[in-house]
This record gives sequence, C-alpha cells and structure tokens, in this order.
Amino acid sequence: MSEILIKNAYVIDPISGVNGETMDIAIRDGRIVEDVGGGAEVIDARGALTLPGGIDSHTHICGTKVNFGRYMSPEDMRAGRTARHGYMHATSGYSVPTTYGNSYRYSRMGYTTLLEGAMAPLEARHTHEEFLYTPLQDTMANALFDGNWSILEAIRDGDTKRVAAIIGWFLTAVKGFAVKLTNPGGTEAWGWGKDVTCIHNPVPNFEVSPSEIITAVVKANEMLRLPHSVHLHCNNLGKPGNYTCTMGTLGLIPDLNKKRQTLYATHVQFHSYGGSGWSDFCSKSEPVANVVNMRPQIVIDMGQVMFGKTTTMTADGPMEFNLYRLHHDKWSNHDVELETGSGIIPVLYRRKNLVNAVMWAIGLELGLLVKDPWQCIMATDNPNGAPFVRYPEVIALLMSKKYRDEEFATVHPDTESRVPLPAIEREMDWYEIAVMTRAAQAKALGIVDIGKGHLGVGAEADVAIYPVRADEVDPAVDYRKVIEAFGKTEYTIKRGRVVSRRGECLVDGNNTTIWVKPKISEEYNMANDPDFIAKFDRYYTVRMSNYPVQDEYLKRNLCIETEAEL
Amino acid sequence: MMRVSLAVRPRKKPTIPIEAETITPASFLEGAEIQVWRGNRELPLDEVFAVTIEGAADRPEDVEIVLSGDTSRMKRVGEYMDAGRIVIDGDIGMHCGNFMSGGVIEIGGNADGWLGREMQGGTIICRGNAADYCAAGYRGGRKGMTGGTVEIFGNAGDFAAENLAGGTVIIHGNAGDMAGVELHDGTLIIKGDCRRPCGNMSGGVCVIYGIAYDMLPTFRKMGTEIRDGREFLSFTGDIANRGKGNLIVKDCTYQD
Ligand SMILES: [Zn+2]
Repeated sequence: MSEILIKNAYVIDPISGVNGETMDIAIRDGRIVEDVGGGAEVIDARGALTLPGGIDSHTHICGTKVNFGRYMSPEDMRAGRTARHGYMHATSGYSVPTTYGNSYRYSRMGYTTLLEGAMAPLEARHTHEEFLYTPLQDTMANALFDGNWSILEAIRDGDTKRVAAIIGWFLTAVKGFAVKLTNPGGTEAWGWGKDVTCIHNPVPNFEVSPSEIITAVVKANEMLRLPHSVHLHCNNLGKPGNYTCTMGTLGLIPDLNKKRQTLYATHVQFHSYGGSGWSDFCSKSEPVANVVNMRPQIVIDMGQVMFGKTTTMTADGPMEFNLYRLHHDKWSNHDVELETGSGIIPVLYRRKNLVNAVMWAIGLELGLLVKDPWQCIMATDNPNGAPFVRYPEVIALLMSKKYRDEEFATVHPDTESRVPLPAIEREMDWYEIAVMTRAAQAKALGIVDIGKGHLGVGAEADVAIYPVRADEVDPAVDYRKVIEAFGKTEYTIKRGRVVSRRGECLVDGNNTTIWVKPKISEEYNMANDPDFIAKFDRYYTVRMSNYPVQDEYLKRNLCIETEAEL
Repeated sequence: MMRVSLAVRPRKKPTIPIEAETITPASFLEGAEIQVWRGNRELPLDEVFAVTIEGAADRPEDVEIVLSGDTSRMKRVGEYMDAGRIVIDGDIGMHCGNFMSGGVIEIGGNADGWLGREMQGGTIICRGNAADYCAAGYRGGRKGMTGGTVEIFGNAGDFAAENLAGGTVIIHGNAGDMAGVELHDGTLIIKGDCRRPCGNMSGGVCVIYGIAYDMLPTFRKMGTEIRDGREFLSFTGDIANRGKGNLIVKDCTYQD
C-alpha cells in the first residue's frame, strides 16, 4: 500500500466543480481517496496551482507515420539531445523525437494521458510497440476508417448495422480506442490519383460521398456505444475557402449522445480558411466558431500553429501532396492497402509569411470565439501545427491580450486585414485553461468514468502541480510566468507515484493502454462473414487470422467493453 | 608560433574509434586539459597521444598541430576549427573538419567519410583518396558545405559535394556515384570520371573533365564550350525539379 498526501494544494478541478480551493488531496494505491493514514508521504504544494493530469486528445507520437517522420528527417535528431541520466534514457529530436523524448517532455509539462490521433489498423502493432516505450502516460489510439473498403461498401448498401459491426471487429482486432475519419473518402480516392473536393463528391469506385460516410459512421459509432465520438479530420484540409465545407460537415451532425458530443472535429484551424486562393487567403474563424456555438453536439480542437520548424504528418495523403507542391521540399506518401494512406513533409512556419501568420491567428481565434471552453480543446495537432512543447505559449496567448498584441506586432503587416484576432478582447482564466487542457478532453474522450481528468474520490491519481500561485499571478500581465509554470511542473503524479519532479523523471514508468471491445451479437460477428473474410483472402497482404494484434503487444492495459446495439 | 606534435601511442584495440573534436588550434591556446573519447570512455589527450608542444601562441592563427601514427580511426579532428593549421601525416577518420570556418587542414594519406561536412570556410587538402560524402551536408539536411575549398588529389567516394551550397570542391581523380547531388550553389570540379552527377541540382556549377557515366536524362543540352582547348558539353538542370544549375562535361554516356 502506498499513500501520498498533497497538502495546501490550490485546486482547480472543473469536472468536480472545484474552482480555486486550497485543499489537501489524499492518494492510496493509485486512486484519490477521502483520507490517508499518518504514515503517508506528504507533499507540500505551498499553494501552487494543482490540476488533474493533463490529457492530450489529439497528438501524433507513436506509429508508422511518426516513425517515418523520424526516418525522413534525421536532421531533426540534431535538436533536443539529452544524455542518459538517472532513470531517463537518452533522447533526441524536436518535432519527431524518440518515444522517450515525447514521454519525458509531456511528463514534465504535467501530461499523464495521450491519444494517438491516427493509427492505420493494418499497422497497429507499430503503434502499440511504441506505446510500450512511452512509459509515463496512459495511451490510446484512434483507428482510421476513412477509406475502409468493407465499410464503404456497407455504406453504399445503406447497411449501417454492418458498418458498426465492421468497425467493432477492427477496433477489437487492433486494440484501438476510437473511430477516426481523415479526409473521409479522399485518401481512398488518392489511391487512384484523385481527391474529393466537397462532402457531396462521390468517392471513385464506391459511389458514396464523404457526407454519407460521415453520417453513417457517426450513427454506427453510437450503435457501438463507444466512449468517444467519431473523431473527424474534415475534407479539404489546408485549402483556401474550405470553411464552407467545414460548416457543411458540422451541419450534418445530429445530437445523439447525452453524455458527450456526437462529433469531435480535430485541428479545425486547418479547416477555417476563406479566400479563393493564396492571394486573398483569410480567416473564417468567426462563422466556424458560430456554428460550434450553436451546436452543443460538436467539440473541436484548435490545431494551433506556432512559428518555427516542425513536421506535418497525416493520413490525408492528397493534402500532403498539395503541401509538397507549395514547398518543393522532401515528402512521403504511403498507401495502406484497403484502409487509408498517409503523407509527411517537414515545414517551417514563418511569422513574416502572410499565410502562416493568418493560420497562427485562426487557431487562437477559434479558442477565443468558441464561448464554451468545453467545446474547444487546446492542441496543436502535435507536431503538425507545432510540437507539443509549445503548449505553454499557446496557453499564455489565450490568457493574455497583451502577449497576443506583442506577438501580433511581429507578424506580416497585412495579417491585420485578414483576421479578426486584434479585435478579440477575451482573456481566459485559470479555470478555462484547466477545462481546455484536461477536463474537456476527459469528457470528450468519454474517460471520466474510468477516473480520468478529475480529482474526485475514486479518480486515478494523476495530478500536476505547477509552480505558480494562481491566486496571486495575473496571467494577462505576467504571461511569462504562465509559460514558465506550464513548461515544467513542480510534481507530476501518475497513478499515485511521483513520476516527474521539476523536469526530472524519477521512475521507469508503466503506462496503461486503454482500448475498447464492443460486445456484438453472433449474427453481426464479422469473423463469420464470407464477404468480409474474402477481402482478406483476395486483397490484403495478411490473412484474417494473422491480422489481430496479439495480446503480447500490450502489457498493462484496460479494455472498455461496451454493449453494442447489434 | 606554437607547434603541437601529437604522435599516436600504440593501442591495444586500434579499431575502437576516438572522438577527437577537441583537437583544434584554438583549444591548445586555452591551456585547459584536453580530453578525447575512446569508445564510451573519456581520456586525457596524452593517454592517446605523445604530446609535444614547442613555442607559444596567443591566437589560433599561430598554432600548427601535426598528427602522426595511425590516425585512421580518429574522428572529428578539426571540427569547428576557425584558424590555424592541422597537418595529418597519414590517414584520418570520419568527419574531419566538420563545420570548419577558417584555417587549413592538410591530410597526407586518405580521408574517411564526411570530410569537411557542412564546412563554412578555410581549406582542406587531401593528398590521398576521400571516402563517401566528402564536402557534403548532414543526413536529411538541406545545406551542405557553404564556403571554403576542399581539394582531393586522389579519388572521392559516392555523394561527393552532396547539397553543396557554396565554396569550391576540386577532385583530381574520379568521383563515385551521385556526385554533386542536390547541388544548390558553389562549384564542383571533377578532373576524372563520375557516375550520375548532379541529380536534383538547383543551381551552381559542376565541371567534369572525364566521362559522366549514366547521365540523368533530366539535363537539357545548351551547347558546347571550350575549356583548356578542348570542347565540353554544357547542360542545364535538373529540369525534373525546375533546377537552374550548369553541368559541363567533357563526355557522357546515358543508360540504355
Ligand atoms: Zn492529427
């Protein structure tokens, strides 16, 4: 039995309804409890800001894409080099660091749970292998279904139950956590050298449109009673004028779930562009934020861009090819058999580049214009908009108009005529930041019930203590202190153990992989379906029996079983 | 003038590389103890070399370092050197003269891979052969050598002057495959033959006095020009990527 008592913590815990109370937190055997005995290890927080452990609900840290980013950018490994030290392995890399680099850097920022945003089902083993070496955070993965042939055929046949059954089979087989659609239909079309330009364009060979894919998969997701909603990367990412497509997409979504949103739209910054080309490119954050404000069934994440070097990586192969045509730098594209694809290119976002400056502004505008912080999550689509180590700066920009104005003064001078940012006065408070960096993620991912994202009795003891007095520091003025505080915790506690202290990781770590298994009736068990089996025999490079990820790929893990309506 | 003689002491395991980026003229000025790494062990310089110092200097320009003995596994000698002179009697290991910005390195024997990687200025002379990636960039990087001169009297390996972005590289013998690949700026001169030169070249000049085997079809022939009384063919490319480099060859062959 191990016990910790955190004394004098200045707690903000939005899910439990705590907003700035100085209290003690008792921990026993990895869980929050009412109280502990006199022998407990005492941590004196001295009034420092204490939050539930941070959760990133959309990041790219593990798997084939990330690793290909490492492979094609060996020069990235020249940055971020740290030698082996104590429990910490050597690390290197900046935008695509080693797995330990990711894990240590997240941990020193107080993050304890991560969702890998895009795992190709066929390549799931690689993701799970890298999860094992990301030891200081609990991990889970979105599985990609945007171009799955069996699903596209079931949608064409109007059989939503079959769609759900297929998704259920794949999620269980690859030990995934949620359903991801990346440029639905577009990446499949790209396999034939085409793309879709609007949600009503039919996908070649399947005669279904992105809007049909999205609506059917959203329904199927709810039939499976999955913890998380569909996680969508809209069509037309990065194209001027794409905001109409984004608004049309958000408009398709009914409100189907009482506990959480029905759709999680990711990195919406990349989908809120006006203009007919790059010359009249401008922000359309206002209409997009308005749609979100009117539709409680939608949650978005910002997809904030920060200036500097990074690597873009997505299952959206055609988008990456367009990006290559702009930059003429190295690029890669990859096709994943009957499922999806991907592309990767390194980029440099420059503040003196008008397009980049507008992108930077749009992310912040979404954060500030979406009224309810539970509906807009802070994220950079790591590393696409910026590596996650830039989160403290993003937080400070949301909290300080002064900081935004100072930064705005350094960007391309024409930016002002293209974006509403300078006119937005809103400054987020500590509570709203706590929502946008952990509570909203836990609710959106549907993991509050397993004890994530809060500090109520029974919750997982994942705690971040930041070296800042939230009751004394004015974040709007002292934004430097905000950046510093969120950059390095005083303590990061994971499942009741101090894993990181002032930036130094203190244990080897032993994370949990969270995955789902919908319980489906025999009638809808795809393992017995001749057409489904034929796909493997006829097209896949692996047999169906060899496809599922074996148990040995997961060490410590938590399977959430759901009662599917099938 | 300060003259530093470094004579390699006999080694039990001569194949274990020695990381010797501390061997630069400037580091002998400071009087600090110089360490090198042998495998995973850090050692004082005089455990690896018999060190003799004659004279004194207060600027690196006035320092000459002479390495003798088996230096073929000494890596990174002269890295970041900005002035002075290093003379190597025999062969030198990989990454000699990385990031060098001034001064002279003279190698009597052969140089291993990555000689003068990302060099910014100064001069490297190699009397023997240079291995792969001579005067090149770093893996994945966009800019290789940006200034100075590298002169190889023997042959060079594959990827010579890869990503060259400034300065001059002269190879008196033959170069290997992919010489001048990704060349952006600067000048590459090959007195002998080479294979598949200048793929994805975007600017700069490459002159080949021998035969360019397996020329890439993505270079457009512009005409002929006379050099040293002989007729050369002048090409522009690599047009596959809208490059505007100038590739001049005495003779060339294309793949069937
Ligand atoms: Zn993403």
